[in-house]
Amino acid sequence: MNKIRKQYLPFVRAGVQTLIAYRMNFMGFIIGGLIYCFVMYYLWQAVFLSSGDGSFMGFSMTDMVVYIFLSNVTGQLTFSSASNDVGEEIRDGSISMRLIKPVNVDMSYLAAEIGAALMRFAVFAVPVMMGIEIYRYVVCETIMFDLVRFLLYLLSIVLAYLISFRVNLCFGFIAFYVKNLWGIGILKNSIINFLSGSLIPLAFMPEQLKIILEYMPFASMNYTPVMIYMGKYDIDEILFRLAIQAIWALITYALSKLIWFRAVKKLSVQGG
Amino acid sequence: MHRALKIYKILVAQNLKRVMEYKADFFTGAVSFLIDQAIGIAFIFIIFSQIPQLAGFQFEQIVFIYGFSQIPKGIDHLLTDNLWSVGYFIVKKGDFDKYLTRPINPLFHVIAETFQIDAAGELVVGISLMIYAAPHAALCVNALTVTLFVFAIPFCTLIYTSIKIACAAFAFWIKSSGYIIQMLYGMNEFSKYPTTIYSNIIKFFVTYIIPFAFTGYYPALYLMTGENPLFNIGGAVIISMVMLFVSVLIWNKGLKAYESAGS
Repeated sequence: MNKIRKQYLPFVRAGVQTLIAYRMNFMGFIIGGLIYCFVMYYLWQAVFLSSGDGSFMGFSMTDMVVYIFLSNVTGQLTFSSASNDVGEEIRDGSISMRLIKPVNVDMSYLAAEIGAALMRFAVFAVPVMMGIEIYRYVVCETIMFDLVRFLLYLLSIVLAYLISFRVNLCFGFIAFYVKNLWGIGILKNSIINFLSGSLIPLAFMPEQLKIILEYMPFASMNYTPVMIYMGKYDIDEILFRLAIQAIWALITYALSKLIWFRAVKKLSVQGG
Repeated sequence: MHRALKIYKILVAQNLKRVMEYKADFFTGAVSFLIDQAIGIAFIFIIFSQIPQLAGFQFEQIVFIYGFSQIPKGIDHLLTDNLWSVGYFIVKKGDFDKYLTRPINPLFHVIAETFQIDAAGELVVGISLMIYAAPHAALCVNALTVTLFVFAIPFCTLIYTSIKIACAAFAFWIKSSGYIIQMLYGMNEFSKYPTTIYSNIIKFFVTYIIPFAFTGYYPALYLMTGENPLFNIGGAVIISMVMLFVSVLIWNKGLKAYESAGS
């Protein structure tokens, strides 16, 4: 254990330092996300006004506001740049430097990302969640925050992040075959946004589609933790959803390992 | 002018050759944008499955606005995509020097260098949506409205381009400004929906400060109602001209401040 800590702690530290060094990038990323939240806020407000009875498929406007911002926070916390980082390193060949180090390649990426994720939690997620709770308090006039649910949310987030990391890693490995990383990035983001519920709550999808999507890995990456936090699931359902998340975490782990071992044999570095 | 056109043709031909060489890349890019668009439409579709109209607009009208908003975005994407690279890494890596050593205008060279055929995804979807929605969107079609509407497109495109030029130019002072482009460019989300859904402050902001409302909603509104051409179309022309002027000014100031980076 001590050996592992010694091996990977420098990667965690490097992750934090990278984020601090490129803090403006980070800020831009966050502000961009918040602007998007506000567009969605106004759009949904118009939808609720047009729907007449102040509710839309079981969601009130308050629910929707919480959903929009919480889904964004969850997206930031489970964000993984692995597909970009791996892809870039495969393309420019610097991945060979990682291969010669006595560390696990995917673990070294993971360690660096954990550093960044902790920073995101501290400087972004905490303030926004406090904002959400204040908003709920003002609207509902009671404290809606529930410590047990919050802790379950954190557990769910960890699982969601692990799935997100592995899925991103798999997308990154596509760079072994296709060099247009930027196109892959757009494809990946739009698919994940839609299927994970961060664009639109899965509850709003047609019934059959919704049931299928809830079992897919994408829902585990965003929708499940958000629903847990919002109290939309009872305790049985929470445990069931957490189990599904855990299963997907294992499957995506195995999948990324499989692709890696097949693809690394094919690695050819262009230029020197 | 003649010379610039000739150079442009050569550079575009060069780009197309690269596209032919990396067919899988082009395919990935175009398919990605197509799927991205399809999801955007699915989103609107799901909303309208529950409500008859949004802020007084029918489904087809919202689709028409959405479709139109993709046209200026797509044209700008097709022609000036290299500005992103200036913001993200060309200046940072010290590669900008090459534009300064050539006997053509650096801004023209940067823009001409990339012909981003991936934008076909946005353009095809945008045009298809407009064709699909037009018969049901209660458009006010006559010679004048159509002429003015089409006339506005290059100006709408310039709004995108100007924002990118100005933001990319910041890289001359701070080395990397990709995130600034990303942030302001991302506001084009506002252009897809009627400005009437926003609060007054945001409405003012997307009309006059970062005027993406003129790249989608206002021109489309003009074609739907035939009213207020002075504001809906004229506004796009005047604002885009002012923005182009200011952004080129910032670019030129930036060029003077530019110091090469890297080794």
